[in-house]
Parts: sequence; structure tokens; C-alpha cells
Amino acid sequence: MTAVLEAVDATKSYGEVLGLNGFTATVGPGTTGLIGPNGAGKSTLFRLLVGQLHLDRGRLELLGHPAGAQGEFRRRVGYCPEHFALYDWMTGLEFVTGLLRVDGFGRAEARGRAGAAIETVGLADAAHRRIRVYSRGMRQRVKLAQAIAHDPELLLLDEPLNGVDPVGRAHLIDLFERLARDGRHLLVSSHVLYEVERLTESIVMISNGRALAQGDFHRIRDLLDARPHTIDLATPDPRGLARVLSGWDHVVAVEFPADGRLTVRSRAPETFYRDLPGVVVAEGIRVTAMRSVDDNLDAVFRYLTEGRG
Amino acid sequence: MNGTLGRIPVVARLAFRASLTGLRGVALVVLALAPTGIVAAIALADPGDAATTATAEGLFLSLTLRVIDVLVLLVVFASAFRSEIELDTLTYLTTRSIDRAGVAVGKYAGALAAALAILAPAALLPLGVAALGGGTAPPIADPVAIAAITVLAAAAYGAIYLLLGLLSPSALVLGLLFGFLWEELVLLLPGSFPRVTVLYYLLSVGARLTASGPLHAFPTVVSLPAAVAGLVGVAVAFVAAAAIVVRSVETAPQRITA
Repeated sequence: MTAVLEAVDATKSYGEVLGLNGFTATVGPGTTGLIGPNGAGKSTLFRLLVGQLHLDRGRLELLGHPAGAQGEFRRRVGYCPEHFALYDWMTGLEFVTGLLRVDGFGRAEARGRAGAAIETVGLADAAHRRIRVYSRGMRQRVKLAQAIAHDPELLLLDEPLNGVDPVGRAHLIDLFERLARDGRHLLVSSHVLYEVERLTESIVMISNGRALAQGDFHRIRDLLDARPHTIDLATPDPRGLARVLSGWDHVVAVEFPADGRLTVRSRAPETFYRDLPGVVVAEGIRVTAMRSVDDNLDAVFRYLTEGRG
Repeated sequence: MNGTLGRIPVVARLAFRASLTGLRGVALVVLALAPTGIVAAIALADPGDAATTATAEGLFLSLTLRVIDVLVLLVVFASAFRSEIELDTLTYLTTRSIDRAGVAVGKYAGALAAALAILAPAALLPLGVAALGGGTAPPIADPVAIAAITVLAAAAYGAIYLLLGLLSPSALVLGLLFGFLWEELVLLLPGSFPRVTVLYYLLSVGARLTASGPLHAFPTVVSLPAAVAGLVGVAVAFVAAAAIVVRSVETAPQRITA
């Protein structure tokens, strides 16, 4: 299968500000998370992919076509932009129907597809209300509805969970999973890492316009081997446990973040996890809870950006 | 599936509704009705004055065509692209499978219909009000000329402003400079200079279609077919330019952040 997205040295500047700076990445089929803080270049990448901006340098392809290709190719792609601007003077149903008609669907089919898409995103009750009275969450949903209504094989979703309430988020994440199961490819951007972590393990990390790391989350996690691993322990005797652990070669730091808590940084987490139960038994120190602080994308991203920034 | 040609009317309908929606649409209608209000006030102040009709025609030339048309057409056509670019809603159209040139043509057609919905009554109502108020009934050629000038003005100025709105974030300022400075000042220059203004051809149409009165008074060397062809040519050239430019221009708003 052709790569869903292929970027080689993609560069785009706004005057002296670099939006993308030699971005190089390959995104395969399925769902991929594009992760980075605000200003990292995520939206610039999306704008380039849909032809709203043009590259200064490099190559950017979508489904084997040059980014920004126009005409019938666009029917294969659905785009949900980050911003919340819509045609406020229309109803949600009119908005989606109108865009489908621009896409070439006949009146009846457009209306049927629009109604189905609006129901899919959970906006059926508000379909006939003017968009100007929609909340941010409802706007997000109607943006998604127009992106999926023409049944594209690739969805470009720029911060699609922004502004959506927790129940709505769960609903939309279910929807994204369903779309992926149905064989669609999704490129989902977010600066909230746990959202993407719930959707996929395939990620591209972007910062300062560059792809910082890409691939399976666990492979990226392997990049951290050289970095001290952080473990949070709950124990009634943190100082006693710290005395023992600080004698281990691979433990580089111990901290006491709160009463009954101990944070340990180890360069050999596997050894740590292997040896800790022995200490607990031998020293008679109870450990009531243990949590690897690094076991989420947030920690990975922080490490990569801080380490290379 | 409809081809691009079949989708242009859809874009035109969207542009038409967008042009007439909201406070902006109301403001434009109120502005356009100002000449009618002035003529009505004159007719009420001096009922039965036969000169009211000539006053209405003079008002068309001095106020409607040279001020109100310019403002309404500038707002409607320049914002057809510029408002959407700055709001970032144009992306909903340009990311569909329609050829972008079709978007430009559709927007032009929708804006033209919206502008004429505002300007045609504005141009013709004063004549009707003047006749009802006791003014002499104008020869049929006069309202025909006024209607023709209004349609051609909308077509030609509209195409220019459409392209301006697509190209420049300062389209409104540039449009005002063009409409009020270039058009009026160059028209005053001697020799052939006035012929590089749109207004010259519009006034020529009025002069050629009427036999007397304010509309006929404009001195022109251009025939009616040449004037109409010139105006239609301007409209076609600028719409074609917009259709070409929109396929390659960046359409992200200026304020975008990465």
C-alpha cells in the first residue's frame, strides 16, 4: 500500500517564522497521531496537505498525490480544520448538505448523506438549528460531519477533540475507532497526549516544525533507554526505602514529593523492577503502590523535546 | 455526480446567501435605498414638480452610480473571497472536489445576483417615486439605460473587486482608492485618458441609450456596442484572472499560527 503521507524535507515559512522546518516523516495505513505542542507546526502541515498553503521546499505527498492536489482526488480526503469558523447563517444540516453538493452529489443524496453524518457525530437534535447558536463542541461535531459525509478513505483531523465535553470525547473517540476499523486512514493531531494515546500507538511527534520521532509508541519509548526512568512509590517509610535504593548503582536520584511517597530515577528500570520485591521482603518495608511516571506519551514527548530543544 | 459546471450554481447560491446575510446585508440595503428616500423627500416637499424626474436621474449619476454602487459592489464582491479567507471558511470549499476555478466563477455569479438584488431597486425606484410624486414620466429609454448601466457596473466593477479580494488583505482600501480616486480623477483628464476607466464606458452606455436628459449629456466617442463590449470584456477578463489565480494562491488567513 502507498504511504498515506510522505514528507521529505517539507519546509514552509511565514516571513521569518518557520512553520515547518525540514519535516520528514512517513505515515502508513491506519490511525496515526500527530503530536506536538501548540505552535509545533501541526496545523501548518494540515494546511499544506489540503492545499491551503504551498511548500517552500521539499516534498509532501498524500495517498501518492502531491499535497494540495485538486479535483476529484479531494473526494478521497476529508478534512476537519482546527478552527471553529463555519457558515454561521446556515443550519448544521444545510452546511453539510451544501458542501456535499459542492462535491458533486445530487440534492437527495447530499441530504441523505448529510443527515447520516450529522447523526453519526451525535448532532441530530441540533441539525436544524443555525450554526451561530452552536457551542464549540457542536461546532466540532459539525466540522467532523462535513469531513466524513462523503465517505473519504483518509481523514485529516486537526485537534478534533478540542472544545468537546468529556462524554462527547468518548463518543468521538469511539467514532474514530469505528472509522479505522472500517478501513479508513486517520491522521489525528493533538497537543493533549492521552487523547491520541487512546486512539493509536502509531505516532509522529512534531516540534518546531520538525518530526522529532515517529513510529510505534513503544519503539519511541525504547529511545528513552539512556534516560533515567521515573518510578513513583507509595510507602509508609519513604526514607528507609530511599536509604536502601540509593545504594543501587543504577539509581541516580531519589525524591520525596509528599508524605508517604518516594520518587526514584533509575537508569535500569528492568533491573529495578526485578530487584525491588526482594528488598521489600528482606528489609520489611511495605510498598503499597508503584507507578511508572514515564508510561504515558506526555513523558515521552517532554523528554524528546527537552532533550533536543 | 455533477461536474464542475453543475456545481457552480451551488457555490453561487452559497455566495448569494452569504452576501445578503446579517447586519452587513441590512446596512447595504439601507444604503442603497438612500436615493429613493431623497427623491421621496423632494417629491413630498414639492408635489407635482415636473423636474423631480430629472432630479432622480441626476441623483443616479452623481450618488447611486458613483458612490452607492461602488460601496455596495466593493463590499459584496471583495468580501466574497476576502471574508472567507480571513475567517478561514474558504477551506470548506477549496478542499472539496470542485475545481477551484469553479469556486471563483460561482462566487462571482452569487455575488452578482446579490449585488443586483440590492442595486437594481436602488437604481430604478427613485424614477418610480419621482413619477408618482408628479414628475414627468421618463421616456422608456431612461429606466432601460439605468438598468443597463447598473447591470454592467455590477458585472465589471464586481469582477475587479472579486480579484482584489482574492489577492489582497487590503482589498477594501484598494477598492476605495480605485472606485473613488482612479475612476473620478482619470475621468477628468483630457484626451483619451478617461477611456481607461470603467466609469467612462458606463456613462457612454447611458449617453447612447437615451435621447435627452442628464444621462444623455455625457460626451463620448465610444459607440454603444463598443462600450458594452468593453465592460463585458473587463468582467470576463477579471473573472478569468480570478479563476486562474485561485488555483494557485494560498488561501490561509494572515493571522495563522503553526
